[in-house]
Formats: sequence, C-alpha cells, structure tokens
Amino acid sequence: MTAVAVVRSIALVGLEPHPVRVECTRASGLPGLRLVGLPDTAVREAGDRVRTAIQRAGLTWPQDRLVVNLAPADLPKVGTGFDLPLAVGLLAATGQVPVGSLAGLFAVGELGLDGRARPATGSLPAAAGARAHGARRLLVPSAAASEAALIDGLEVVPVDDLAETVAVLRGERPARRAAPAGVAPAGTGPDLAEVRGQPVARRAVELAAAGGHHLLLSGPPGCGKTMLAHRMRGLLPPLAVDEALEVAAIHSLAGERAPDQPLDLEPPLREPHHTASAAALVGGGSGIPRPGELSLAHRGILLLDELLETPRWVLDALRQPLERGSVVITRARARVVYPARVLLVAATNPCPCGHLGDPLRACACRPDRVERYRSRLSGPLLDRLDLQVDLRPVDRRHLLGPPDGEGTATVAARVLAARQLAAERWGRPALVATTPTARIRPTVRPAALRALADGLERLGRSARAFDRCLRVARTAADLAGSELVTTEHVEEALAYRLPSLEPAR
Amino acid sequence: MSDRLVAACGEVVGSGTDPGALARVVSWSVRPRRSPDALRRAARDHPDDTVAAPSARLATLAGPPRDDDAGAALPLVRAWADAGVRVALVGDPGYPPRVAEGWPEVDAPAWLAWRGHPDWQAPAVAIVGARRASGYGTAVAAWLADAVARAGVRVVSGGALGIDAAAHRAALEQPGGTTVVLGCGHAVAYPRPHATPGRLFDRIVAHGGAVVSEALPHQPPRAGPVRARNRIVAALADVVVVVEGGARSGSLLTAGASAERGRTVLAVPGDVRATGSAAPHRLLAEGVAPCTGPDDLLAALAAVGVPRRHPDGDGTAGGAPPGVAAAPGPPSTLPPAARAVLARHWPRPVRLEDLAIEAALPIPTLLAATTRAAVAGEVVETVEGLRLRRAPAPGR
Ligand SMILES: Nc1ncnc2c1ncn2[C@@H]1O[C@H](COP(=O)(O)OP(=O)(O)O)[C@@H](O)[C@H]1O
Ligand SMILES: [Mg+2]
Repeated sequence: MTAVAVVRSIALVGLEPHPVRVECTRASGLPGLRLVGLPDTAVREAGDRVRTAIQRAGLTWPQDRLVVNLAPADLPKVGTGFDLPLAVGLLAATGQVPVGSLAGLFAVGELGLDGRARPATGSLPAAAGARAHGARRLLVPSAAASEAALIDGLEVVPVDDLAETVAVLRGERPARRAAPAGVAPAGTGPDLAEVRGQPVARRAVELAAAGGHHLLLSGPPGCGKTMLAHRMRGLLPPLAVDEALEVAAIHSLAGERAPDQPLDLEPPLREPHHTASAAALVGGGSGIPRPGELSLAHRGILLLDELLETPRWVLDALRQPLERGSVVITRARARVVYPARVLLVAATNPCPCGHLGDPLRACACRPDRVERYRSRLSGPLLDRLDLQVDLRPVDRRHLLGPPDGEGTATVAARVLAARQLAAERWGRPALVATTPTARIRPTVRPAALRALADGLERLGRSARAFDRCLRVARTAADLAGSELVTTEHVEEALAYRLPSLEPAR
Repeated sequence: MSDRLVAACGEVVGSGTDPGALARVVSWSVRPRRSPDALRRAARDHPDDTVAAPSARLATLAGPPRDDDAGAALPLVRAWADAGVRVALVGDPGYPPRVAEGWPEVDAPAWLAWRGHPDWQAPAVAIVGARRASGYGTAVAAWLADAVARAGVRVVSGGALGIDAAAHRAALEQPGGTTVVLGCGHAVAYPRPHATPGRLFDRIVAHGGAVVSEALPHQPPRAGPVRARNRIVAALADVVVVVEGGARSGSLLTAGASAERGRTVLAVPGDVRATGSAAPHRLLAEGVAPCTGPDDLLAALAAVGVPRRHPDGDGTAGGAPPGVAAAPGPPSTLPPAARAVLARHWPRPVRLEDLAIEAALPIPTLLAATTRAAVAGEVVETVEGLRLRRAPAPGR
C-alpha cells in the first residue's frame, strides 16, 4: 500500500468557497484512473487532460490503477479548476514530486493538453477562500496570479505549466513572486459639471447617492438621463478594499474581469440592455448559476434604461432581490446566494413617442396609449423608486454656454458628509434607504410627520408612499447637516414624483 | 317576458315616460343593425297627426316587442337600473326640451339615459376641445369652467381626457355644476381613469352634476357615436366655446352641430405655433367671436336671453377673473417671488427648473414651497409644469 497524496483546492458554490481535498493513491488492479466524489463532466474529463499534460511535460504516467477521491463527497464540484491539484496529487502519489512539498499548499487552475496552466473562472474568490481555509501557498496559473495576489497573507505561486510546477515543488527552481494587480485610482469618470441645467434632477441624483434611494428619471430622448446616471458613479463614496474585493470576486466569477485588471475602488455601474433576459439580469444558467447584472452591480449602480420597454415579467423578477439585497437561485444540486445591494437608476420616456409635456414638440401619442404606457410603470416596482423626476430637454443656449452647476468633487463631498452623519447617528454605516423607518421616526419632528400624512392624502397619493417619503426626507436632512427632519424636508421629499396625467384635484 | 321588461322599465323611467313605450323602443333597438334613429326618420317621413307625443309615436312605430327582443332588452334595462340610471324618451317631461326641439326633423336621440342631476333647465355653456390638450388649453378650459359654474351656469362637455376633463374638474364643486355626455353606454368603463368608481364621473354625480348617454348600457365607444355625442353636447348648451382642437378635430364638428342648432359659438385664441390652435383659429377666421375670458361667455349667454340664477358676490357678470378678487382666498403659501413668476406666466404652466431660475430660489426650498402650495390647492401640477389654480388678481 502506497501513501495517499493530498492536495487541497477550492470549489466555488456561487461565491461561497468550499475547501476540497484531492486525495490520490495507487491501487492494485487494471491500469487506469478512477475519480470518485461527485465530479461533474468537466471534472471527469480532467483525467484525460491531466494524463496528456503529464506525458507532454516529460513525466511518467504510471501503469497502475490510480484512484482519486474528491472530498467531501457530497459537495458538487464543477469546472476545470481541479486539473492542477489533480496533476500535482498524482505526481506526488507516484513519487515524482515530494509529498512534503504539499503541506499548506492549495492549487486552483486548468491544464491544457500541452501542459500549459490556464486560469479557471473565479480565481479571486477561490484565492480568498483558500486563505480563509488556512492555505499558506496557492498554486495558480500565471495569468490569474496578479488577481489572486490581491488577497493579503497568502503566498501566491504563479506557474506557466506543469513542468514549472514540478520544478518549483522539487525545489529545483525558486518560486516566482506574483505582483498584485494594484489599485485603480478613483475619480476618473465623467464630471457632473458637464450636465447643463436639470437642477431638479441633479438634486435628486445627490439625494439618491447620499441615501441609496432608487431613482427614476423620466424624460424625452436626449435630455441627459443617461448622462446623469453615468455621473452618479463618481458621487458614491469609494469602496473600502474588502468591499472592492467582494465586487471584484463577483466579476471574476462571471468572467467579467481581466485577471491583471487593478482593483477598482469605484463602485460598479452596470447598464443591461432592455432586451436582456431575466436570467441575465438576476443570474442563472445551468450547473452552478452565474451572477447576473444585479449582482455585478452590487455596491454600485444598476442603470435600467428604457424601463418601460423592459418586459413586465423581467421587471417582476427584479423585485424580490431588490428588496432583499441578494439573489437566491435554487438548482437541483445547489442553492446559490449572490449579493445584490444596488442603487437602481431607471430611465424612461414619459410616453411612447417621448414628447409628452414638451413645450416645443407636440406629443404624437393617443392619450389613452399614454395612460396605458404609464400604468405599466405603476405597481410594485414603481413603489420602490423613492425619487422620481420628470426632465425636459435643456435649451440649446444652455448646452453651449458655460457650466451652470456644481462639479462631481463638490457634490461627492456633501454626499460623503451626509453618509457620515447617518453613520454617526446609527453607530455604523447604514444607508438611509434600507434603514427601518422605526429607526427614522424618532428623528422626525411631530409636525413634519403630520405634514407628511396630510400631504399624501391631499395630493391623492397612496399611504404606501409614507415610508418612502420619510426616508428621502431623512436624507435631505442629512445633506443639510440637520439632526432633525423638519416639515420642509418632508415637503421636498413629497415633490419627487411624476406629475399625474389626471390630477386628483 | 314582456311584462317583466315593462316592470324593469318602470324602475328606470324619468318623469312622464311610459314604461311600456320605453320597453317597445328599447326592444326594437336591441336587434342587430337597428338604430333607434331609424324610428325618428320613419316618424319624419310618415307624419301622423293623430299621435301627439313623440314618445307615443316612437312606441307605435316600434310596435309590440317580439319575445326574443324583449328577452335581450331585459338585462340591458336592468344594467341601467343597477347603475342608478334614469331614462326618458324624446319629448317627455323628463327629456330636455332644448334637445327635443325640432324633432323629428332635427336629429335628437330617441332617449337620454342619465345618472345624477342633469338640471336640464339651467343656463349652460359647453366647453369643448381636444383630448390631446396643451397646458395652456387645459388651463383656459379650467378657468372658463370655474368662472361660469361659479356664476350658476351648468358646464357641459364630453367625457374625454384633456379639455373635457379640465372643464369638468374645475366646475364640479361650483354652484352651476357640470354635465358629462358619454360616447358610450353607462355600463362601459370608458375612459377608464374617469369611469373607475370614485373617480371623476362619480365625483361629478356626487356633487350634483350628471353623466348622460344616448346609448344602450353596454355599447362600447366608437368613432361614430363619439361624433354623434357632440350634437348632444351642443344641444344641451346655450353657448358653445371651442378651446383647442386639431385641424380635423371633433371640436369643429361640435361647432358645426352648434350652428345647426342655432347655438352661439365662440373660440379661444391659441398659440399660433401649436397644432391645437388649428380648430379655434379656423373658426375665428370664419367669423366666430373670440372668447378671451369668462366675461365673453357670460355676455354671450346674456345676449341669447339666458337669465342668471346664482349671481356671485360682486354682481358683475364675471367682470374680474374668478378667484382671488371675487373672494379673497387664504393667504398665499408660496414665496412672493415664486408666486409673482407664476402670476406673470398665467395661465401657462411653468417648469420647476424655470421657476427656480426666475424666482432665484434654491431647488430644495422651491420644491418644499410648491408641495405646500399643491397641498393647499393654490397650484396645479401638470405634465407641463405648475400653474396657479385661479387667475391671479391684477397687480397681485
Ligand atoms: N442636460 C444636458 N447637459 C449637457 N449635455 C446634454 C444634456 N442633455 C443632453 N445632452 C447632450 O445630449 C447627449 C444625449 O444625452 P443622454 O444623456 O444620452 O440623453 P437621454 O439618456 O436622456 O436620452 C449627451 O451626450 C449630451 O451631449
Ligand atoms: Mg439615454
């Protein structure tokens, strides 16, 4: 009986890293390789890839029966990341690399038939998982090394191919050091000062950034909706490094991130097209479901342009995740949870032709069509858009004139100050938009509460808007540096809604 | 079958209408491709001096109902009853004499079905215009309707969005009240935003106004009946004013019907650049008198000899625009600078962005102020911006 060689690796179930032991041994019996422990097709094919890679590297594929157990057996193992640990384990079990070199070693990576090492998706969350499960050294394909090296306290060993791997493990060659991808400077996006006019929308954008409120921009094409939404990114406070790593991990898993890309501290901005499927938006796919746009926008902005062109059922699929701040996808083999705390910015035309309320261009829509178009906006999703603004095109003169509003730096400073005020009040960083109103109420003047209830009733609005307005008012107070929410803050909050086509009074 | 139908008719007839006659006319009308107007044409083409009352003549021409027709008519009459509708046949005491005038030569509906209080005898002004109305158009319609209804004049218009709705909304709480003429049956929820329970039509009825239709209860809106509806609007009014409408709009048809009925027609001058000005401007070019305010309407009413029933406080025929001057309202909730801007642009709505610049107010302050003013009813919010609900007093 020969020794069992164990190489450790990481299986990702969604973002969640699970440690996996790749146990390799020789057994008596017919020559061949037997893989046990719930491997999927890609993992079963690893046997063929690994055998070819070992032979190409000038190493020996033993004429024995080889048994590999992937433990724990009840954990689904998918993807190509087990090639490298499998090759190393087999070489150790057959005495071609010293078993002692495997102590504290984790390996993640795919092998080509030529023995070249290639990154599997999700190198970053895998590296974070390896560190969390006690890895000292992590063997990764060179292309994934700078990404993996973003994780502190882990020796990342980049390898180009199987030959280099063996040389390093035998101590014939010093391990190379991986250079971390570095951190991208924030604040390089477009500036808010480029937006002319639109003072109401600018204010709403500032409130949204400060309180994390979902925002609806309604207006004809070309009035600056997309422009404003893109500039919101620069208003959000930069991410802390651990937050940025969490975001990068999701992008790494989705294959949306080049491994040598520096760590981006700027919150993400995602802009799915309105023809995107529900699966593309919330996540899905066969096997272990991939994160969707909603999770790719985690801690950042999800911009849904042409909101009313998006099919109703797709919008409905967004509702629960928005509410919960995470996406839960259940499959036969796994239940995956992806974080999805986003600031939703929705943009829409006011009517099918886009010119309703335009002083210069007549709206060409039949009024009942406008009514029907608008009614699609109503309902549960609209209820979650705390701030709603109606925009009109800006006069050409303004567009050509000098900037007439503040720049990103000025507004971002106020946003940061407002968030700090909220964090001090509640003793921890918390977005106003997701704070229970029970915690907000004690900071509201009684007269302001009465003004809110009265205002909603007289303006013919549903009582459901109460909490929404209360939160926006809280953010307005934070921006003003005011500990108490006053009637004036509440009245401002009541103003952020689209004008009704048929006013109640 | 026939007995049950007559009994059901007994529950909906207005004063002076014979349930048996109504049962006959309705049963005759339920058959496919039969319009009750064919009965009028028959009456016109075959005069019969032995029958005096138009409704009796209609009943005779319709004849006793076939069983299946009576069976089809029964649920329709019950739908009227369920909706709280009253029905009167042409020429009967419950039917407006000004509409019946000239029957059978003049095209008056065989019956009218109404909810609420139509107040047929009241002096009335029809305010008509496009569904696709501008902020200016709706503001003017509201201004005129508010002023004449305050003076005790009944406002009449269609049930559509746009100008019609603006006029009804402004008039419904005033002494004159307002009457909607539908282009469909009472059991059809059209247009939905107005016909939904608790919305505009119900509020009009609750405030002493009326909703009128010449159709069977389940008849859907179609282009023909909507156009035909305009002739009832014209017939119900003493004076007709066209506020806004496109080159081929129903407003022109209403104006035509009004002229046939001998009603005075006025037209509101509009923005020469706006497509909605085409109809009123064409009427003005054809010699129709311009309407530049409620004064012109009240003067036109006086000219056709209509007495005023509820003179308002100052006794002038709407000499001053309604609102602030006539009854000093509560003090303004708006910052003086903002109110001055809105007054200067009145009745045109002003975008918040422009208001902020012209009144030199920061956005949070301005938004808080306009919310307060909207809650107090001092301003109206439209898709084109904000405007004062009432005309500003000169110099204020
Ligand atoms: N308020 C504005 N200030 C400056 N430029 C504007 C503004 N609105 C529109 N533009 C110009 O028009 C282009 C289209 O604007 P965009 O934001 O895409 O409009 P929307 O998304 O509302 O259709 C912009 O790239 C910009 O050049
Ligand atoms: Mg756009």
